[in-house]
Amino acid sequence: MHTEPTAAPRKFVVPIGPQHPALKEPGHFEITVDGEIVTAATARLGYVHRGIEKGVEGENWAQAMYMLERICGICSHVHATAYALGVEQLAGVQAPPRAQAIRELVAELERVHSHMLWLGVAAHEGGFDTLFMYSWRDREIIMDVLESLTGNRVNYSCNVLGGVKFDVDDAHADEIRRAIDILEPRTHHYLKVVTTEETLIGRTRGVGKMTQDEARRLGAVGPTARASGVPRDVRVDHPYAGYADFPVKMVTHTAGDLEAKFIVRIEELFESYRVIREILDHLPPGDIAVKVKPRLPAGEAISRVEAPRGELFYYLRSTGSTNPDRCKVRTPSLCNWASVLVTAPGHKLADVPMLIAGIDPCFSCNDRLVTVRRRGGDETWTWARLRQYGIEYYR
Amino acid sequence: MKLEELLATAEKILAPWTVGLTRFEGRRLDVVLKREGLVAAVAALADARWGYLSAITGLDLPWPKTPPKPEAPPTPPLEDQLEVLYHFVDGAAVVTLRLRVPYSDARVPSICGPVPTATLYERELHEMFGIEVEGTPVTDRLLLPDDWPDGVYPLRKSFKGLEAPSRT
Repeated sequence: MHTEPTAAPRKFVVPIGPQHPALKEPGHFEITVDGEIVTAATARLGYVHRGIEKGVEGENWAQAMYMLERICGICSHVHATAYALGVEQLAGVQAPPRAQAIRELVAELERVHSHMLWLGVAAHEGGFDTLFMYSWRDREIIMDVLESLTGNRVNYSCNVLGGVKFDVDDAHADEIRRAIDILEPRTHHYLKVVTTEETLIGRTRGVGKMTQDEARRLGAVGPTARASGVPRDVRVDHPYAGYADFPVKMVTHTAGDLEAKFIVRIEELFESYRVIREILDHLPPGDIAVKVKPRLPAGEAISRVEAPRGELFYYLRSTGSTNPDRCKVRTPSLCNWASVLVTAPGHKLADVPMLIAGIDPCFSCNDRLVTVRRRGGDETWTWARLRQYGIEYYR
Repeated sequence: MKLEELLATAEKILAPWTVGLTRFEGRRLDVVLKREGLVAAVAALADARWGYLSAITGLDLPWPKTPPKPEAPPTPPLEDQLEVLYHFVDGAAVVTLRLRVPYSDARVPSICGPVPTATLYERELHEMFGIEVEGTPVTDRLLLPDDWPDGVYPLRKSFKGLEAPSRT
């Protein structure tokens, strides 16, 4: 056997996904490798694109919120909050302080569950399934709290236009405090594990390093940006909902590698615990909602909130009718893809799942047609048919 | 930098290309541009390290098809238009660059030169609104299915759904 000494190095493309055992959501990546080393990476998204932006144009302002909330099953509350704040801007009303505090409370509880979910997924991608199982077990505590508070484990449906749907009473407050008391020491333990456990450090320290300048240039947002020392957090930069009354401290780290992403997210958990306790201790009295007319004045609104994954951007346009004319949603995962595709070259192929998991990607958020895949092949369902199916199913 | 300073700085940077300007609720600045000025304006913002590109929004603005009143004087028909909004964000400040193009000439220049991360947003804009983005590095499908028909743009107001596939 011999090799041609003059042969040009051959490129080999490894397709990952759309269905892949290491990624629980559909996304397709083509990773070009030279031996073990990645030389280029591209992404194809849209496998869970559902056409929600178009869909809401056919709903009225109140109905649209329920559809938008279903963009993401992990951070549903931030979508509804961003939308509700945008609609309130257009309507010229402001939700009462108690409602704003409850919005922040649910947002921070959601952040806790989302960051714990990420910690588990990231540990799993790194081959550390024990940490995955422990963190997901602890995440159940928060899921139970959210369920007893809102009635749902996901899609809490806490917002209404002009406020929130439910109040937080003393029994709820005590339940949340008890949950946080259990989670706080556990989180300290996780921070110790991710910074001292040799097997995990081997997969995270110095891997996927993004400098502050790169993070800025690539427009990274959320913990991905903050782990590279870019101070970007909408909760601090432009406090919305209750964040002006109950501020949070921004958590940043300078290393920019995967380990820093672990540390930033875990330290944000402590900040969430602190602010959750503070809100419960000082919940402003008063009403929880104001009325919003069904017809909104013509205009445009931009609403930004800090989702667990970073800045969530909503643009709303009203032409003075009962329906939104346009609702643009830009989710944080879309901003952060560039950071993966740019940092991947130079790394080993085996690091790619970790790098992808590092930004905490949320595919449902990126992709927003309803195609139901059945054994007979592809069928595109109309909204009316899907609705009818839902009614029949639950009959 | 304070919010007011940020907006004033952006206003100054964008002045050479500004055609129209509106301030909203103290933290938003809308700047209307011409197609020729877009790339230079974006480059100026990027060079000054003013914030980052947060989103690109497409808008479909079809001229309302109301039947003309018989007694009204004849007016030249206005054209259906598309508008592209480039939202730049720095802290609490949001600067939106607005660019209108008619249906008959639906093209905008790519801003991937000064802002390479715009590629995903530009691909989305092209797929959803059928706006040709001249010079954008990748034009593959991003979000729509591979078998989506060419020339059908779902976020245009005229799109009311595809024909249901025939069942065999």
